[in-house]
Amino acid sequence: MAVSTVYTTQSLNSTCSISTPAKTHLGSHQKHVVLFRRTSKRGSSGSCAIKCSAGDSQTVVIGLAADSGCGKSTFMRRLTSVFGGAAEPPKGGNPDSNTLISDMTTVICLDDYHSLDRTGRKEKGVTALDPRANDFDLMYDQVKALKSGVAVDKPIYNHVTGLLDPPELIKPPKILVIEGLHPMFDERVRDLLDFSIYLDISNEVKFAWKIQRDMAERGHSLESIKASIEARKPDFDAYIDPQKKYADAVIEVLPTQLIPDDNEGKVLRVRLIMKEGVKHFSPVYLFDEGSTISWIPCGRKLTCSYPGIKFHYGPDTYFGNEVSILEMDGQFDRLDELIYVESHLSNISTKFYGEVTQQMLKHADFPGSNNGTGLFQTIVGLKIRDLYEQITSSKTAAPLEATKA
Amino acid sequence: MATLSSLSFLTTRAVANVPLPDSKNGCLVKVLPYLNQPWKRVSQLGCGRMQVVRAAPDRISEKVEKSIKEAQEACSDDPVSGECVAAWDEVEELSAAASHARDQKKDSDPLENYCKDNPETDECRTYDN
Repeated sequence: MAVSTVYTTQSLNSTCSISTPAKTHLGSHQKHVVLFRRTSKRGSSGSCAIKCSAGDSQTVVIGLAADSGCGKSTFMRRLTSVFGGAAEPPKGGNPDSNTLISDMTTVICLDDYHSLDRTGRKEKGVTALDPRANDFDLMYDQVKALKSGVAVDKPIYNHVTGLLDPPELIKPPKILVIEGLHPMFDERVRDLLDFSIYLDISNEVKFAWKIQRDMAERGHSLESIKASIEARKPDFDAYIDPQKKYADAVIEVLPTQLIPDDNEGKVLRVRLIMKEGVKHFSPVYLFDEGSTISWIPCGRKLTCSYPGIKFHYGPDTYFGNEVSILEMDGQFDRLDELIYVESHLSNISTKFYGEVTQQMLKHADFPGSNNGTGLFQTIVGLKIRDLYEQITSSKTAAPLEATKA
Repeated sequence: MATLSSLSFLTTRAVANVPLPDSKNGCLVKVLPYLNQPWKRVSQLGCGRMQVVRAAPDRISEKVEKSIKEAQEACSDDPVSGECVAAWDEVEELSAAASHARDQKKDSDPLENYCKDNPETDECRTYDN
């Protein structure tokens, strides 16, 4: 929303026709000063417009890294829902576009920065996980441009045909989310991120999820799914997995410890690993920050069905960084379990009591809505909203400080 | 399903076609009969697809199946070669695309999709008071 005031000077002969500047999506802090100089010659409408934009239109950039089939899309839908509205592909553009746009957020899929298309990768014998298949220079240039408020023409990687389609125009949004395999791989791109998340799915859970996803497809069998995971594993371990040490928040999904010898993968143990000392981000905690606590909410006040719910919270180190880990094992069966748990978590950045529960219920059909994956994804979404509000309020405060000084 | 090939021989006479709404199932093609040549009657006004349909999940499913076969062949020679790994990566990519297509198809309601783009039409009017 841009507010523009237009000043006109009266001129004797020429008719005044003032055109308002085109609506820009450059964020609410962008100020445009447009000067029109009008000549007094009749019949000519010589006017020159000098545009100077004052103020900073900083876009907040969030990075989300995860392997294919690990819940990035679900996370994106939850995240955009926290900000309000549903994110949709750009209207009138390529129907196979991977981009999602809502009022406040734009989600860019980093597959669009593949430098080799499917045939190119097959010829060279590289996977999409390999950095050689991606153009990091273009990724850096475009993310930097969007962050400073400049629209870009981003290529489209068509997942159906495997080709690189003609580019689409992306206007800088208030919040830019880049999701894919390599958001934190390149150091320059990493420095542009205001917040980064990594979804770390353990091998057993990944296998179970991929079986659920692919068994309905003709041609797939357990062996083919297993072969596919194992063939990609070396590249995944070499290029994707190391990104987790750079992430500000890691959502780790493991098989449950509540059911001995469980191999169904339905009940999950989810750990939210939050880095300490990140600007504008204060970790979620149980009971008291920095202490270690194990908590089973089921008991007299709350009755849960088998296998129940178990929480754990404590400080730890993760790849040399100080972190706090909040862990949930088990499943929610009823609404009151969810609200009970929410009332005991602190620093969840909700705007009203029960917001986490409300968000989880709104998307009760999404996968993971009854366990820690949905809960922690929702909480991270709220923390990102809080981070965005802190960044934008500090940006408006800074010019005021400068004028006072 | 009749196609519009019966009209394709028109050279000089202009036939107006109402643009199709972006819906796979709707067919609102209206073809003006030959105003100047009423003896040439279009025998059947059929519903035909006039625009490229988005990749239907069937096509992707076939691609998935084909890619699995190719991957199995590529890996039978050498399980650790680049070709084998790239082939299985392709399988993974196509399976992900198929799963997304399935989810989208599950959610999409043709009427809702049409009304999102054309809220002023009669079918899409809402009476909220």
